[in-house]
Amino acid sequence: MRSSNPIFKDFRFWCLALSLLALLVMALYPTQIQKRPVYKLTFVVDITRSMNAEDYSVGDKAISRLEFVKLSLRELIGKLPCQSQVGLGVFTERRSTILFDPIEVCSGYAELDKSIDSLDWRMAWAADSRIAGGLLNAMSLLRGKETTLLFISDGQEAPPLNSRYRTDFAEVKGKLKGLIVGAGGLQPVVIPKFDAKGQRMGVYGPDDVPHRSSFGESDLNPEKIEGYDARNAPFGKHAATGSEHLSALQEGYLQQLAAETGLAYHHLQTEAGLEIAIKSPEFALITDSEADIRGYYVLLVLLLLLSIFY
Amino acid sequence: MAVPLLRSGMRIKPYPWLEMLPVDPLSQALAMLIRLLGMAAIGALFLGLSGLYLKEQKIERMGHGANIVLLLDRSNSMDNSFAGKAPSGSEQSKADAARRLLNEFVDHRPHDLIGVAEYSTSPLFVMPLTENKQAIRAAIDATANPALAYTNISKGLGLALSFFDHQTVSGSRIILLVSDGAAVIDPDSEAALRVLFKQQQVRLYWLFLRTDNSPGIFAEPEDSRDDNAQSMPELYLHRFFSSLNIPYQAYEAENPGAMQKAISDINRLEQLPLHYQETIPRRDLSGQCYGWLAGLIALLLGLKLCEV
Repeated sequence: MRSSNPIFKDFRFWCLALSLLALLVMALYPTQIQKRPVYKLTFVVDITRSMNAEDYSVGDKAISRLEFVKLSLRELIGKLPCQSQVGLGVFTERRSTILFDPIEVCSGYAELDKSIDSLDWRMAWAADSRIAGGLLNAMSLLRGKETTLLFISDGQEAPPLNSRYRTDFAEVKGKLKGLIVGAGGLQPVVIPKFDAKGQRMGVYGPDDVPHRSSFGESDLNPEKIEGYDARNAPFGKHAATGSEHLSALQEGYLQQLAAETGLAYHHLQTEAGLEIAIKSPEFALITDSEADIRGYYVLLVLLLLLSIFY
Repeated sequence: MAVPLLRSGMRIKPYPWLEMLPVDPLSQALAMLIRLLGMAAIGALFLGLSGLYLKEQKIERMGHGANIVLLLDRSNSMDNSFAGKAPSGSEQSKADAARRLLNEFVDHRPHDLIGVAEYSTSPLFVMPLTENKQAIRAAIDATANPALAYTNISKGLGLALSFFDHQTVSGSRIILLVSDGAAVIDPDSEAALRVLFKQQQVRLYWLFLRTDNSPGIFAEPEDSRDDNAQSMPELYLHRFFSSLNIPYQAYEAENPGAMQKAISDINRLEQLPLHYQETIPRRDLSGQCYGWLAGLIALLLGLKLCEV
């Protein structure tokens, strides 16, 4: 390089040369490996009747727990980073079933959106709502698969639980990460009733539902039961009364289940809250992904070009 | 996107190289050229930065394919082997065999839209009609989980037919029913299904996985007292399907081999020409923009080197 050449003294030449060099380097190294959290989730949604209780609202309109859960999940899948995966299952009676294994959220967004939207209480293959059983079943189905369980329920066991017969989670405790999501409000509300054709026909009344478990041995102290007979009337001679026809989120019960299973608990109130609960580091899988860093090179080039023409 | 363009236009208007300009036309032209090149370079830069892309496009093509709804039986008996027992050793359950063969079937159907519905006591909507083969396989694979309850075929058929509602894409519409048993369809549902099948112009394939010692689809009753829907639901369902006046084909398979044959048969039959939309994913053009940017800068550099 001859320093006498005036071109080499001009900063504009160096700016152009540097720009070209930056673009060349950019062509060679356009991306950078970055660590990024992705999520692999399986939603298991309670589709029992109490999920039809309408204690959420969107705008001025009251909507059912199930509808609100569907809205929240559909919004959530749009907010998960690409390469995250989502699978879907439903729970009723005492069992859960997986409709499909996790699929990638960006390429499968339309499919996920449609299948979540199609969840319906009429998909339930049997009545009853044995939440602990369904949770245990979901956990053993997903055990060994690297996925985070999102078990969404209002916590209302129907018929009510007999505390003598508790589900034992020892087998699956801590084997699976996940979140129990409580859906519903804390004030008891009525549960809508539908006929065989799906037409709404009022609400469940006190006479429509069992108010206590009458299965097996009584969990009460026999001396305190009126009309107790060990063989013929282990639960006493009177019909139970109660408010099982109304439904509220059984938060205490779900929190207790969460403690027994080693899952976390979250009360579903807003979609944003659910998103925060899920994007906790506990559930994140860290993956390497290639991030586009061409913008930085180009900004440098822009500054250089502007300095020439300014 | 337009904002940076406007701004860049404004910014380079102040003309910088005045001191280099001798008063002669060639130089003036060159100066103009340099200014233009500079503007073009900054333009290309901003286009690239703003992530210029070619929108996702759909191209209509002719091919071989169809719109297929897989309607899968999730009743308890599907978890048994073809011998009607819980599978032991190397035996396959009917559900396992179905899963493997359906996955192969899906692999052989690159242009089809495939949806998945299941039924036991209630119909389960699983996956809408889609080209996303990964999603379909995820749905088929999930049938590895234990089956559910009983067989309520009419609701399942109703759900499968509803997949074609609001669907305008051309091509044949197929329901592939995979089941190991049938159930009585009540008269109300029967009438409703008749109307739906007619409206939706569906072709129906029934792959019946027959368990040993159970009556098949084609078995006529030996005793006339057995000739009713309760004791021979399979035969009656077959008669119902045959009476629909739609293209219908039933296959009876007693083992995975026969199933394989039936599925390849369907694969071969359903190779009718079909207009389908091929999606060309959106193309990122920022690479090209940066290419232009580099070219323009190289030109400017070349002009700079020509400077006297």
